[in-house]
Amino acid sequence: MTGDAPLLLDLTEDDPCALMQLYDEHGWGDGLPMVPPTPQRVETMLAGTDPDDKIAVLPPRSGIATRRVIAINAVLAGCEPAQLPVVVAAVRALASPELNVRGVNATTHCAAPLLIVHGDVAESAGYNSGLGAFGPGNRANASTGRAVRLILMHVAGARPGPGDASTQGGPAKYSYCVAENTARSPWGGYAASVGVESASAVTLHCGEAPHNVHDMESSDPAPILDKVASAMATLGQNNAPISSSEYFVALCPEHAAVCASAGWTRGHVSSYLFNRATLPVAELRRAFGLRAWAPWQQALADDDRVSMTEHPDNIKVLVVGGAGKHSSVIPSWGMTKSVTVAVDVQ
Amino acid sequence: MGEQTKVYAPDGAVGSPAAAPAPPVPVLTGKRIGILDNAKPNAGALLERLAQRLVSRTGAVLGLVETKNAALAAPDEVIARLQSEVDLVLAGSAD
Repeated sequence: MTGDAPLLLDLTEDDPCALMQLYDEHGWGDGLPMVPPTPQRVETMLAGTDPDDKIAVLPPRSGIATRRVIAINAVLAGCEPAQLPVVVAAVRALASPELNVRGVNATTHCAAPLLIVHGDVAESAGYNSGLGAFGPGNRANASTGRAVRLILMHVAGARPGPGDASTQGGPAKYSYCVAENTARSPWGGYAASVGVESASAVTLHCGEAPHNVHDMESSDPAPILDKVASAMATLGQNNAPISSSEYFVALCPEHAAVCASAGWTRGHVSSYLFNRATLPVAELRRAFGLRAWAPWQQALADDDRVSMTEHPDNIKVLVVGGAGKHSSVIPSWGMTKSVTVAVDVQ
Repeated sequence: MGEQTKVYAPDGAVGSPAAAPAPPVPVLTGKRIGILDNAKPNAGALLERLAQRLVSRTGAVLGLVETKNAALAAPDEVIARLQSEVDLVLAGSAD
């Protein structure tokens, strides 16, 4: 559409199957049933906030994400009104230049924006930060991540083919939202650690689906983090040829507790991983003719080892999950930086 | 069968369109060709070969070769140099 207000369409009945048929004719939807966005449902979602508030313009379509348009997609995804402020904050983050959403949508890589919910809103709006946090079974996580994807498809135009060139796509492109387990973090919340001092915040990191790290037996940080480093140091990730890339390391509470009880800070974990997640320079030079490396990395000799990222600050550490001893690594697409913004809970 | 209802379209309005491409150059003879190599594998070789063929077939001249990162927009100064020094640009290659 090209006018200011979204079009209203006739739907034969208030039914998800009827909506899918209607939307299919326009090339809309993610292939799963959606909640029909009737004016009444959208008004309820908006909860009295300004529907015409322009939040962002998203490429490649240059779609204008007003609060109403965001609410429409939140209804479609199955969100409740309590989750709308999180979706709005995520759209603000998507529009940050350093995130490079144009590139994220255009790349052949499988990158999807991982939305991490921090602080009070994670609890008040019902997000899961504990057991199975990356998985199914929680409406807030599932519907918020899906709303972000639907906004990318509908407003930004990131449909496979004309607006999303991903070679294989990926399951994280359906819905990719998790809450930080701040209550079990020995280092406090992640958002404050990157300078966002807000009661509620979100982070977007455009990368791959989580890579599992399993350590059942270690009572010292080093053996656990060596396994994390092993998951980081692989040739197939974009981090290997692009040294400015970030990693997100989602430690489970038990692995984090082992590190903290040994006196390790969040920064110590990043520094250790920076020094242990390395590959031989010769191997990387053989694998990649084109390397977007920092100058100091380019100067290394073939028999040196090189870190998988150019600075320890690119290794972001937070706590996610419940009981058990499985952590995860989320590699980056590469030409993107994570963004953390406050959530305005009205 | 339920009652007919109204639903919103999910896409919203479109903002200012990106700059439109310049019109085609009708005759290449004497025109200056630029290359904007996006550094994808073999992009430079492909674009240079294409430029050479255009030069030999039309009498155009190769004026300027610039390189950019494939994942990011070309810097303003690169675009400015191309605007001032060439009449058309061969740009881009996918994976």
